[in-house]
Amino acid sequence: MSASTVAGMAEQYNYDIVKKFAIMAMVWALLGMSAGLYIASELAWPVLNFDIAEITFGRLRPVHTSLVVFGFGGSALFATSYYIVQRTCQTPLWGGKWLPEFTFWGWQLSIGIGVILYMMGYTQGREYAEFVWPIDLGILVTWVAYALVFTMTIRNRSQPHIYVALWFYMAFILATAILHIFNNLAVPVAWNSLDSYSLFSGVQDAMTQWWYGHNAVGFFLTAAFLGMMYYFVPKQAGRPIYSYRLSIVHFWALSFLYMWVGAHHLHWTALPDWVSTLAATFSILLLLPSWGGMINGIMTLSGAWDKLRTDPIMLFLITALAFYGMSTFEGPLMSLKSVNALSHYTDWTIGHVHSGALGWVAMITIGSFYHMVPRLWGAKLYSTKLVFTHFWVATIGIVLYIVAMWVSGIGQGLMLRAFDQYGNLAYTFVETVTFMHIPYVVRALGGALFLSGMLLMTYNLYMTVWGARREAIDVQDQSAVAVART
Amino acid sequence: MSQTPENKKGQVETTGHVWDGDLREYNNPLPRWWLWAFYGTIIFAVVYWILYPSWPYADTYTKGLETVSFTVQDKDGKTSTVTEHWNSRALFNKDMESSPSALAQKEWLAKVKDMSFAQIAANPDTLNFATSMGHALFGDSCAACHGSGGQGVLSQNPDGSYPNLTDNNWIHGDSYEKIVSDITNGIHGSMPAFGALYKGDKLTDLAEYVLSLSHQPGVNEEAANRGKSSFATCAGCHGANGMGNQMIGAPNLTDAVWDFVDVPGAKNIDAKVKLVEGVIDHGLQHQMPKFGERLSPEQIRLLAVYVRQLGGS
Repeated sequence: MSASTVAGMAEQYNYDIVKKFAIMAMVWALLGMSAGLYIASELAWPVLNFDIAEITFGRLRPVHTSLVVFGFGGSALFATSYYIVQRTCQTPLWGGKWLPEFTFWGWQLSIGIGVILYMMGYTQGREYAEFVWPIDLGILVTWVAYALVFTMTIRNRSQPHIYVALWFYMAFILATAILHIFNNLAVPVAWNSLDSYSLFSGVQDAMTQWWYGHNAVGFFLTAAFLGMMYYFVPKQAGRPIYSYRLSIVHFWALSFLYMWVGAHHLHWTALPDWVSTLAATFSILLLLPSWGGMINGIMTLSGAWDKLRTDPIMLFLITALAFYGMSTFEGPLMSLKSVNALSHYTDWTIGHVHSGALGWVAMITIGSFYHMVPRLWGAKLYSTKLVFTHFWVATIGIVLYIVAMWVSGIGQGLMLRAFDQYGNLAYTFVETVTFMHIPYVVRALGGALFLSGMLLMTYNLYMTVWGARREAIDVQDQSAVAVART
Repeated sequence: MSQTPENKKGQVETTGHVWDGDLREYNNPLPRWWLWAFYGTIIFAVVYWILYPSWPYADTYTKGLETVSFTVQDKDGKTSTVTEHWNSRALFNKDMESSPSALAQKEWLAKVKDMSFAQIAANPDTLNFATSMGHALFGDSCAACHGSGGQGVLSQNPDGSYPNLTDNNWIHGDSYEKIVSDITNGIHGSMPAFGALYKGDKLTDLAEYVLSLSHQPGVNEEAANRGKSSFATCAGCHGANGMGNQMIGAPNLTDAVWDFVDVPGAKNIDAKVKLVEGVIDHGLQHQMPKFGERLSPEQIRLLAVYVRQLGGS
């Protein structure tokens, strides 16, 4: 396949929908991370509540998580999956103009309305599934349309083989559908009410929720972003994927094992001990399959390490894989019952989530966007220097964030289990809160750095696209002049 | 097609598939260390399953080889050792029975069991123990309202005020027995609303009189004198001279200590009058929950020692 044929195909590809999702990913990233920075600041300086119910921690926290996970992460996955499926299948998106368009509006409206309802106090009260039932239905319809568009495009491929990135996206789409449906099974109080009751109760309800919660991490935030990695890392490096065999083995191992581990969020509760054991051991089993993706990504670059000196996009992608490796090591460690007894209910969990969310999910997306956006608009990236700056600002921000949460979480965990010489608890809860103030300030600082990196990126991409439009206008002007001369 | 420019000697071939112009895959074997580490985690998991409760079957589950032993006491006080398959409930029982901190606490509790309040407070060792335990209990049960140091909250809004326990000014009395009964049964501190009885100038005059009892600077003496007669209504609880009554929890109004409304924090005498008027007008409704169901009698006894000493009594 020569390069000119590929370029010829580009004209048929539906890039319009990819551009829309990419723009919304950036919008939600800025809003969601600002919400995150604000609630982090509220924890450090509670006066920032201003006694306004809508902006208290309890209401803004799901705004933050939903916007960054589903708004930013989700839109980025829609954008990249639509981009990759077209390019690796060499066929335009199935569903004409309107079905992909429907997935765009369905997704954006569900999230936009959903988070406004959070601020008004309407929530299902299930972590990462706080959307009220009508929004859940909207997401469901959108997701079915997405699954159709994606799989039908793959069916229409003009390539004999399905590229590895697409396996991961398919696993993500299928698993997310199952998780979303089962965890949101609920009986509305009335047809005109936003309130509903979960179909499950007690420990079964908790298990359903965390089966969902952890697989949202597993399939939404891991498998799907591995799909992103499998396209953009070899593309940016200009080298083949390290091992086809490894990609098959770790794909199936990851998909099979992730489904078992959710209960590790419920150690030392009313959960039966045997369920805890299975969750802990399957989490350990998950470590190496998770690392399979990291190895495949990092080894793809082996022999071309010098690229890291000159290519900040590669720097983002490889650092993302390093953070992925670190947090998929930390996760199984924390899922062991004895470690969990210390870490659970502390900020160690928050730090762990963010080393995954900022280090892995956001960084792989940032790297992918720096690669994809110029190609979408047919423009040259405005500034490589700014990408370097973004990289360092983001990395320092993440490190501050994670270290602050280790100190805060492990510190609080140790304080809560400390006894004095009389066998009494040495610290009260409020004393641990006092202790956490400084780490909270540092965490907010780390978040502020990461957010300012995103602002740099927004500026850089805006200038890239704006520059492209200018060139297009210039070309038009010139051709107009040429026509006038003849 | 399966050759790439980087394809050097010893490098494996690609699979031959190409996507999107230049996407290829090598067919490297699984890294050895990765594979062995994966086998390692499988061995870990299997050993774990053999030792601990793990796989469900029929209506039960595999119990595992690990056991936990702990002591139980039957209703006649006879003790016996029970051994169960590893489970978190048994682990908790064992911990409560034999962990160093549990043993230390038991020893100290036994020491103070038959001591009077005065004896506990007089002996530095037992006082330290009571302070240590009281600190933990206070932090969990009392600090949410009374503050982590017992300093309370004094707000211009009476509903947001919680009495200061460190000022040695006792609304309900400072005997150990009274503190124990207050913690056990809770307190319903209520002052009726007198808004229907006193309005306008009459209300202002009464408020001026109340402030004059503690010699607040700037009080309008004339108004206070006029309000004196109305105070007869208040005297039923606060006493004829406003000295209060600890039996029914009516605060002393002559000592310039304010527990429910931040009079000292008001900018000027007019604001102070307004605050007192508000209390007379609306009354007070304060409810301290009962902790008798949450804490054991022994815990409440030690908490009382801690609380009384907070106030300096």
